[in-house]
This record gives sequence, C-alpha cells and structure tokens, in this order.
Amino acid sequence: MGDFINLILSPLTIGEAWVMLAWHKVWTTIGIGGGWAWALSIVGLTVVVRIVLIPLFVKQIHSSRRMQLIQPEMQKIQAKYKGKTDPESRQAMTQETMDLYKKTGTNPFSSCLPILLQSPFFFALFTVLNNLKGIAEGTHPAIGPITPAVAHEIESSNIFGAPFSSTFLGSTDTATKIVTVVLIILMSVSTFTTQRQLMRKNLPDSALDNPFMKQQTVLLYLMPIFFALSGINFPIGVLLYWLTTNVWSMGQQFYVIRRMPAPGSAAERALHERQERKGKTVTPFSIRGLERDAAAGAAADETVQDAPNTVNRQRQQPKSKKRAKRSGPATGAAGTDDAEGSAADGKPTDQ
Amino acid sequence: MTLAELLGPGLRGPWTWRKAAAAPLLVLVRIYQLAISPLLPQRCRFYPSCSAYAVTALTRFGPLRGGWLAARRLGRCHPWNPGGVDHVPEREACRTHAAT
Repeated sequence: MGDFINLILSPLTIGEAWVMLAWHKVWTTIGIGGGWAWALSIVGLTVVVRIVLIPLFVKQIHSSRRMQLIQPEMQKIQAKYKGKTDPESRQAMTQETMDLYKKTGTNPFSSCLPILLQSPFFFALFTVLNNLKGIAEGTHPAIGPITPAVAHEIESSNIFGAPFSSTFLGSTDTATKIVTVVLIILMSVSTFTTQRQLMRKNLPDSALDNPFMKQQTVLLYLMPIFFALSGINFPIGVLLYWLTTNVWSMGQQFYVIRRMPAPGSAAERALHERQERKGKTVTPFSIRGLERDAAAGAAADETVQDAPNTVNRQRQQPKSKKRAKRSGPATGAAGTDDAEGSAADGKPTDQ
Repeated sequence: MTLAELLGPGLRGPWTWRKAAAAPLLVLVRIYQLAISPLLPQRCRFYPSCSAYAVTALTRFGPLRGGWLAARRLGRCHPWNPGGVDHVPEREACRTHAAT
C-alpha cells in the first residue's frame, strides 16, 4: 500500500525536488547559503503550490460574498430551530442551511478541492525529507535531482541547530525540540488569527448564528492541541511547509477582507468608511439576477422534496408543511433534476 | 470517547460482506476523520460531508462501487459547485437508475 502510494506520488516528489533545487539556486545566487537557503527553498516551494491554487480561492470568495443576500432565509431557518438542541434538530437545521446554500449558489466553505490538491504535495515533501538520510547513505535511490551528494548537504544543514529531517519524537536533540515547539506555536497563532478574523470581520451576523459556525468556534480553540499532536511526529521541513501555507492563507485573507469584504460584515463597513474619508463614492456590493435566484430556489426546493430519501423523510416533514403554507401547492414535476437547483449559479453540476 | 464513538458509524456493526470488504478503506477514512480533519477548518460544501458520504457509500455498496461514488463526490466538491444536500443513493434507487 505504501509503495503503491509512493509510486503514484513519484512524479510529484521528483517535481517538488526540482522546484526546491531551483529555489536553492536562487537563494545561493543572491548570497544566502547553508541551512537558511534550504529553509527558504521549502518556503519557495510552498509559495509555488499556493500560487497555483489562487483561482480556486478567488472563486470561493465570490460565493461566500453572497452570504448577506440569503440573510432573511437564514433567519427563517434559525427561528424555526430556535431553542432546539437535540441532535436530530441540529442535523435537520444543518441540512436546511446547506440546502439554502445550494439554491442560492452561496457557500461559506471552500470545498474539499484545495486540500485534496495540497495533500499530495504535503506527502511528497514528507517523502523527500524522510528519505534524505537513506539517499545520503546510498540505501535509498536518488529522488530526481536529489543525489546522495545533495541529500548529504541538506542533511548536514540546519536552522537554529535543528536538521530538516529530524522530528520532535524521533530525536534527542534539544534544538529540534525547541524549533518544533516554536513552529507549532507559530502555526497555531497564524491559523487561529486567520479563522478568527474570518469569523469576526468577514461574515455577516446571520452566518455566525448557526450550528457550523458554533462548532467552528469550538474547533478553533482545540486547533493548537491537534497541531501539537501531529507536529511532534513531523520533520522540521514539513512543519516549515505547513507554517508557510498557513501564513500564506492569513495574508491572502487580509488582502481579501480589505479589498473585497463580504456584504453586511464589519470589514465592509470599514471599507466604506475608508472610501468616504478619501472622498470616493461608496459603491455597495450587489449581485445581478437576484430574482432568478429566488425562482431557481423554488425549483431546488422541489428537488429535495421529491428526492427518494427514506433516511430523511421524517426530518423533512416539518419543512414541507411550512413550505406549503408559505408558497402554496408544489408546481415542480417529480424527479426534477439536480441541475435545476444549481442553475441559480449559472453553472452545471458535474453529476 | 467510547469505543463506538471512536469507530464511528462505518466500523461499528452490523457487518455485511460488502462492509467487510470495504473495511480497509473505512479505516483510512476514519483515520482521516480523527487525525486530519480536525486540523482543518470545515471545508466541505455538502451535507453530509465528503468523508461521511464515503463511509455510507462504502458500507452500502462495498469497496469498488462505494469507492467510485466517494471519489465522484470528492470530484464534485469544488468551488464551482454550489454544494448543498447530497446523499448517497439508495441501493434500490441506484439499480432502477442503472436500468433506465
């Protein structure tokens, strides 16, 4: 299993080794040498990966900016489940909220794709760092440009006395332990700041008052524990990659919150204030085709109601009653295709 | 955390041959849920989340078809898809769907 995964990852591992070596050349050319050149090569590699992922992030910003527009619907759902804390109600509320996101083409979550694309890079770097010793000693074949000589050079260099392939648990070296702890603290701080800033400044109040966000707040405070538990098993080089990626996310978010805040959020009010002070005209963010959203939303409602789903039949009951009161008899035909619901976003789903 | 909670819905009984065949994959998903997922902010655009979907799909359809369904779901979870509620098809529904 492990060999199979390594085989699939090998093009990526070799590609990563090349990118690292290219960065190393850049750093040594401008006069940075030793451990720092390698540390910055890992940082450079991370930046390359993150630049590739920017289009995903831009698309995500656009869909989360629509959060404010669904505020009235969101409040209806909240009012309906107010004071209900049993797991079934919570689950039903989650489901209805997700449903609302779908029919309005709004979603505060970034999707699984960025992490899915990033994880192979993460594991490839892990492979490179884990095998450095083997390559240097000749027990593991060279990975692309990382020949025994290069591996030996990386192995013998360090930052603050901590070699790149050493781990907190796998080494008795004090420097490694201290550097690991510092990196874990920095990772926790950057992630915490990013998440808290997103929740405090860039989400409308309505988006905050729902079970996911409540759960997110709890997770936010548990995050450092999870970082510590996995960080002590990871080599310094991987932690460096991880820290860089977190810091990149933080910077990206600072930029977005300043330039393109979500409507109805604290960050938007700050932007308007800045614009007024500079004497510019304040142009509130708006989206074309709101009516179309409403129409397509009704179609999506039908889709869910008609879906042959025994698991949720019971939980959907109160929803259809309410909907019947609100919007009269159903007009959509049974078996409405999913694509109709997502047409709100003007894009087909790839089902 | 009780043992049942640790195992999650995928690795608890009742066991079918389909579920048993998918057990190695179910273990991998469970490791992701326990060790990796908590490190990341919530990201999935769907309900149930991709990992919960994978557990249901693997249990209901076994490693091949369930794995395929889970992979397709992961393929759908990108910023150009609005997300929303997306359940694993029922076995019956799937058969009729294949027939038409």
